[in-house]
Amino acid sequence: MSNPLRDPRDRRLPRVPDPCVLVVFGVTGDLARKKLIPAVYDLANRGLLPPGFVLLGFARRDWGDGDFESVAKEAARKGARTEFKDEVWQRLAEAIRFLPGSFDDDRAFDTLASTLTELDGTHGTQGNAAFYLSIPPSAFPIVLQQMERTGMADNSRSGGWRRVVVEKPFGHDLPSSQELNNLVDKVFTAHDVFRIDHYLGKETVQNMLALRFANELFEPIWNAHHIDSVQITMAEDVGIESRAAFYEQTGAARDVLQNHLLQLMALTAMEEPASFDAESLRIEKRKVLSAIKPPKDLAAYAVRGQYDQGWLAGQRVQAYRAEKDVAADSRTETFAAVRLEVESRRWAGVPFYLRTGKRLPRRVTEIAVLFRKAPHLPFAKTDTEELGSNQLVVRVQPDEGMTLRFGSKVPGSAMEVRDVAMDFLYGEAFTESSPEAYERLLLDVLLGDASLFPHNQEVEDSWRVIDPIEKWWAEQNDSGGEPELYRAGEWGPKGADDMLARDGRTWRRP
Amino acid sequence: MTTLWDTTGTAVVKALAAERRQAGSVSSGLALTLVVVVDEKNVADAEAAATRAAAQHPCRLLVVVRRRPDAPEPRLDAEVLIGGRLGPGEAVVMRMYGRLALHAESVVLPLLAPDAPVVTWWYGEPPNRIAHDPLGVFADRRITDCSLAADEIAALHRRAEDYAPGDTDLGWTRTTLWRALCASAFDSVQGPVTSARVGGAPGHVTRALLAGWLQRRLGVDVQVDDLEGTGLSVVEITAGDVTVSVTRGKGSGAQLTRTGQPDRTLPLPRRELGDLLAEELRRLDPDEVYAEALEAATGSSGLADRSAHRTHIWHDPVESDDPDPALTVT
Repeated sequence: MSNPLRDPRDRRLPRVPDPCVLVVFGVTGDLARKKLIPAVYDLANRGLLPPGFVLLGFARRDWGDGDFESVAKEAARKGARTEFKDEVWQRLAEAIRFLPGSFDDDRAFDTLASTLTELDGTHGTQGNAAFYLSIPPSAFPIVLQQMERTGMADNSRSGGWRRVVVEKPFGHDLPSSQELNNLVDKVFTAHDVFRIDHYLGKETVQNMLALRFANELFEPIWNAHHIDSVQITMAEDVGIESRAAFYEQTGAARDVLQNHLLQLMALTAMEEPASFDAESLRIEKRKVLSAIKPPKDLAAYAVRGQYDQGWLAGQRVQAYRAEKDVAADSRTETFAAVRLEVESRRWAGVPFYLRTGKRLPRRVTEIAVLFRKAPHLPFAKTDTEELGSNQLVVRVQPDEGMTLRFGSKVPGSAMEVRDVAMDFLYGEAFTESSPEAYERLLLDVLLGDASLFPHNQEVEDSWRVIDPIEKWWAEQNDSGGEPELYRAGEWGPKGADDMLARDGRTWRRP
Repeated sequence: MTTLWDTTGTAVVKALAAERRQAGSVSSGLALTLVVVVDEKNVADAEAAATRAAAQHPCRLLVVVRRRPDAPEPRLDAEVLIGGRLGPGEAVVMRMYGRLALHAESVVLPLLAPDAPVVTWWYGEPPNRIAHDPLGVFADRRITDCSLAADEIAALHRRAEDYAPGDTDLGWTRTTLWRALCASAFDSVQGPVTSARVGGAPGHVTRALLAGWLQRRLGVDVQVDDLEGTGLSVVEITAGDVTVSVTRGKGSGAQLTRTGQPDRTLPLPRRELGDLLAEELRRLDPDEVYAEALEAATGSSGLADRSAHRTHIWHDPVESDDPDPALTVT
């Protein structure tokens, strides 16, 4: 029987998850401290956690509940988006537990299993638990095995729901991601697996769907007849910081292109879903991802670069190869730009240019849709010299919002047309602070809403696009090739500009 | 900031345009216009609340203070601010004297943001009839606050008589956190509800609306108990042999008890006026759930079927035996 106090028309009442335990493996790590714990606090502060909620940390530390609580409190105080209130924390602290143990320790996992059962009694968690794997991928198999052994992942044995949250990287190529998916899906049922791509938790990304499918204005021109090309950029001004070991193995294409950029591309290019539930969205995203083909001419349309020393934001920064723990002859790419196409009627002939890089002039992520020029201009050629193509730019971060560029007459007696920009700033039209991506996604996991999480098939389809590119670069390495160097603080290597110049286009400066 | 003494509506419109140009960004992201009707002694409180709400919902803020309708000469004083005391948005504070106070719409209409929804909020004793106040007639959403009336329950009945879809009351907004707690406490309870009880201060509008909501949703008569203290104290729902109750504790917490489960403390902060207002601005469509709760609380019916449009009814508080508080000014 459904709850008579819940009424779909009553939109003031927040969606609150069932009573549950959130188990975090690797709770002492960076991500847990900087993102997860603050997100839990923010949810608590906004009253979005259920009455029976327990945060259970698991890590290899000799800690008691109290030690963990004080670490978590510090993390929440530092990282929370909303105001830190002691009374909110006090209430959350009552529901914080810590279990010490290493991943190969059977006893620790037995204790974890019995603790979960115990919490059902003391906190009324009804057998519901979400496991957040904030651990290196190499530890996945052992942790999953332990869960399988203790029956922790079993919905029917627990009497409630059991879900698992996995962070990227989801493998490093197609075979490894399939292996990982098989492993996770074997222990948990496929629809209980939540793969976090935090970009999808951002308001602007979700707004892409609203923009396209809630308006009459854009969808009719959202096709090859009117769109000339699409540029998707994710630029970072930082270097690799302390992630050398990971980054040396990964590179820009695997780190960003395979997941974030392809997901953004899928949302830009997909057809209208039958409805906005998780399944319909996945069907459409899968359809478009499987229609994305890697470039045929890889030499021309898959450019990689690596940052050299240079100046960025007034400071001297060192070359990638001079970073700590990076090989002096490293061929890892810190910049990648590719041209992809979607093989469908809607997108035939429209190139999608995707680029990402580190040590670029500023941190920015955006989707720029560039429209064709008007087929006929009834003006003298000199009148429209300054007229570019119409653009619709979705700014994912920072300054979440949208810009529409179009031509407008310059005031004066002469007929002169120039580009102007119309700006919509998210923070200006809606609530001042939209929830953090992690906050939103964590809530969705607890509510069991998978619409914003990529499905394992989507992950595999994305690898199908990236693998040939990686293979090509590896072959280049074997024959003595290496990524083209670019100065830190400029918009990538010259090869990226040449790639667009070849098509008679230029990159938009974000 | 521009301050205009003894001015005209046209001058205010010009001053606002000039301020916008000067501020540099001609902002296009206005979500709505918020008209605040308030008397002189409460201006500071209303401004603080509206500023807080405006931080969450970018809006143009128009504060109307009606003064001395018996003054021999009508007069308008105005203050135009962008990015000042009243937050980052655009704000105009107007003081209207004499007969102008009864024709406030003549100044306000040209100041409304183009084609954006209008919300009117009376911070003070609610109007007897919203149609008496032209500032309520053109609003898409109208916010009153029965808790500011001398007799809260009588004011609530007046709201039901006068109701049109799009009306709302802050007394209802104050039930939201309680309702959220009750709903989530009740999520895992099975079986038909046998009884329900609400306890709180006598004559309290929020208690009446919460009881009305429960009655409507649960289909049982709700027992209403008079308890000491301010506002709501307890809600208790019984379904068969399971009883769930939410009790306000000391400070900003509430105790949740349920048969067969350990007690729990949950946050139940007393919210600031600005946050209540912000909640009201989140949705601008008629609140059907409020209409139902209001029906149940006042024993009226058919509220949701009424027309959402009002026609202005001329009302002169100086000549009337029963002057409408919305137009009765200090």
